[in-house]
Amino acid sequence: MRFYPTIALLATLLAMFATSCQTMPEPYAPPVQRQPFEDARAHRIARIVSMADSDAPAHFVRDIPPGEPAAWKWTNQNPAVKLLLKTNQNLRYVIDFTVPEVTFKQTGPVALTFSVNGHVLDTVRYAAYGEYHFEKSVPPEWVDTQKEAIVEASIDKVFVAPGDGAKLGFILTRIGLTQ
Amino acid sequence: MWQAFWVLVGAAVTVAGCYATGALALDRLTVTLRRQERLPLAFILGASLMHLAIFTVLALKIAYRPVLIVLMLAAIGVAVWRGSWKLKGESFGPLSLALKAFCGAIFGLFTVLYFFHAWAPESSPDGSAYHLGMVTRYLRVHGFEQVTTNMYANLSEGIEMLYFPAFAIGKHSSAALVHYAFLVALAMLMFAYGRRIGKPWVGAAGALLMYVSPVVGYDGSIAYNDCGVAAIAFALFYILELWEESRAANLLIPIGLLAGYCYAAKYTAFVMAIYALGFLAWKTRRARPVLIAALCASTMIVPWVTKNWIYAANPAAPFFNKIFRNPYFHVVTEKEYKDFLSNYGVQNKWMLPLEVTVRGQLTGGLIGPIFLLTPIALLALRFRQGRRLLLAGAVMLAPYATNVGSRFLIPCLPFFSVALALAVPWAPVLAVVLIAHAWLSWPSHINSYSSPYAWRLDRILWKQAIRKIPQDRYLIENFGGYGIARMIDEHVPKGARVLAMSGVPDSYTTHEVLVSFQAAGNEVLGDILNAGWDEGIQPARRRVFQFPARTARRLRVINTANGVPLEEFKASELRFFFQGKEIERAPEWKLRAWPNPWDVQLAFDNSPATRWRSWETATPGMHIDVDFGKYQLVDEVALETSADYGGVRLQVDVMGQDGQWTKLAGAPRDEVMKPEPFIRRWSSHELHERGIDYVLMQDTDWGADDMREDPESWGFLEIAKGHGARLYKVVKR
Repeated sequence: MRFYPTIALLATLLAMFATSCQTMPEPYAPPVQRQPFEDARAHRIARIVSMADSDAPAHFVRDIPPGEPAAWKWTNQNPAVKLLLKTNQNLRYVIDFTVPEVTFKQTGPVALTFSVNGHVLDTVRYAAYGEYHFEKSVPPEWVDTQKEAIVEASIDKVFVAPGDGAKLGFILTRIGLTQ
Repeated sequence: MWQAFWVLVGAAVTVAGCYATGALALDRLTVTLRRQERLPLAFILGASLMHLAIFTVLALKIAYRPVLIVLMLAAIGVAVWRGSWKLKGESFGPLSLALKAFCGAIFGLFTVLYFFHAWAPESSPDGSAYHLGMVTRYLRVHGFEQVTTNMYANLSEGIEMLYFPAFAIGKHSSAALVHYAFLVALAMLMFAYGRRIGKPWVGAAGALLMYVSPVVGYDGSIAYNDCGVAAIAFALFYILELWEESRAANLLIPIGLLAGYCYAAKYTAFVMAIYALGFLAWKTRRARPVLIAALCASTMIVPWVTKNWIYAANPAAPFFNKIFRNPYFHVVTEKEYKDFLSNYGVQNKWMLPLEVTVRGQLTGGLIGPIFLLTPIALLALRFRQGRRLLLAGAVMLAPYATNVGSRFLIPCLPFFSVALALAVPWAPVLAVVLIAHAWLSWPSHINSYSSPYAWRLDRILWKQAIRKIPQDRYLIENFGGYGIARMIDEHVPKGARVLAMSGVPDSYTTHEVLVSFQAAGNEVLGDILNAGWDEGIQPARRRVFQFPARTARRLRVINTANGVPLEEFKASELRFFFQGKEIERAPEWKLRAWPNPWDVQLAFDNSPATRWRSWETATPGMHIDVDFGKYQLVDEVALETSADYGGVRLQVDVMGQDGQWTKLAGAPRDEVMKPEPFIRRWSSHELHERGIDYVLMQDTDWGADDMREDPESWGFLEIAKGHGARLYKVVKR
């Protein structure tokens, strides 16, 4: 066997190889010192679930069909979403929705009740079909920052499809809480 | 349709170029082979040589499309001219009709499935991200360039080198077809092996066990490299067996080249080079044959080691960063990465066999339930060939513990497949096993037993392959990452870099996307971004060391305790005081840190969004060291840091005139810091200062909802959204 010189050579090369890369930098001088911001504004919380968001289904609690994101979704009678908020101060309930002509023809004027964690915020009657926006302040004591808040909207009358008997509430675009 | 045509042309030219090169080499070495083994061996040997030629082209920065095409055509032309192109050699004996019909039917069926999948638009995660991402990047600059923002750029890319000419002609799918050619070559070689040992059914069954395996079919028909690695390893094994029969010295050269190509194709396949050299040493008891093979192997290995040494200051990048210290990869990330790869979330290792053979969700695909029978392969120990196959298989299996993904079993699968067939070498038994394996591996049947989310083929994509369904439409509808890549190209100005928290298919965008976990610099950017929303990493406590006033020129804050695993030493700011007034930082100060000296300035920039981190588990001796450049009166040191670690024990040392460090103060007093109200704006400003003006957030990324709800407070403008992601532009201060 004539391996020993070869092994010795390889071991030496490996040792040189392993120790030859320790190139550490020279000491650094302090960098440019950053200055505080004067024109910035604090963050505003806006936990609003848009039906177009890919993660929207993770927030659905009931009466909103999961599946692919879309600009809007049909709801059943009492759609609800869950949201975790870092604060309960200065929150406002926000919802954008549509009372469609096709359902309005059957149901006539409808009333929507807007609630947070089971507390009714308001009930509004809509006497015509169309797109609507509702927004109202939420008392801080209704929201616990340690728990997910349930934000919901329920419609008093649902549309029952003549063919398959499917029940439709209204068209939801976005719903949530914002500061 | 033309697109589909050029895909085939790109693959065909590349595969033919490799075969021609290998055929020329075999003839030059006067290697005599059987007709059936010449084709696959010539292709694989030629691939090894061609990879080196393309490496040279890239190193010379002449990787232009015509150069790559001429390289391939020249190899083909010379092979035709020299008569090497022809299939030569005697044939093995005739095959039985039963074997031809039975095995041909199974092979044909799965070939249709695989071929169309490879031909269809590439939508694999790693293939479209880094296997081809690096190809597109280097093609843009016509050669190698230093890439310190993507750890994958430092892996050896022996198979990917062949994707360059293919991609230059037919884009992504051509590369996938080249990889598929390796799979076909491997199957042919395994079949030939069976015929060479006089057991054609064993060869055919072994080949089909491997070929039909679900993860092999998926992996082999996308632009990955695992099946290529398996083919190279088996080819090396095959030539070693040929050498043992003849002891022909001319075979030492292909043995060495393929041994080196194993390393060049995938780090973990280096074990096969050790097997080869060990085999030669064992059989000859002489140094010369081993040295000849080792020398040939080194021609394949040295280019990759040198490239990493030059570009990444680490010949084994992106690994061994604790030995080869460098600013490009963090020790802690390497450890986390390795820890994940060693289990993939499979906590109970005893469940691994079931996961990789039947379920296939956590480990990314399944090799098929039939491989639960692998222990039966031990019966092959009664044959000399069986012992060899099992030994080589065990060698290739050894690195599997470092990455337990199902596809990392592919390189050892050929050996175990043939050994399994050899264990029960009776045609009727093998036929039954093959029917069961084929049935269980057909896409529509896998669902019945695997996890619903197992990585697998689901149908024959013939419409997609011939582009009857346009490529763009197919990818937009079926591959979310593609839409994101297109969104980046549409909204980000040319040349601008994008910071992302999750990977994107780089090969489908012309922009450099800095993915936060892929390099040290990216991780620092990610840390800065996360400081905007994650209170856990914002400076929340001030650790104050007070001591009697004294003059000092050099002070350090040093850790004296071991942190729990992955717990680091971190410093947002380090400040010095005398009589309650901060000592102003001066240009003559000299800042040092250990480890991670490269980021020490982050603890001295007055920004709450940046911080120095050890980026490895805290150990005694880690420190930040300041030389004031002159003697300075000081009575207080304050370290501003986050609250997300606790096990680190700090003290302040002073250097005396004799150059020795002595303890000045320990047991700091902790003060709670008031949160910075504009921390998000600080984050975006720091990104901008580092040349990052675009941030991509996928909806499921941590912190995405915080940016989405009020981008203005971040100093961001949302410029695009869709495909489950949002693209923000930093609004300058």
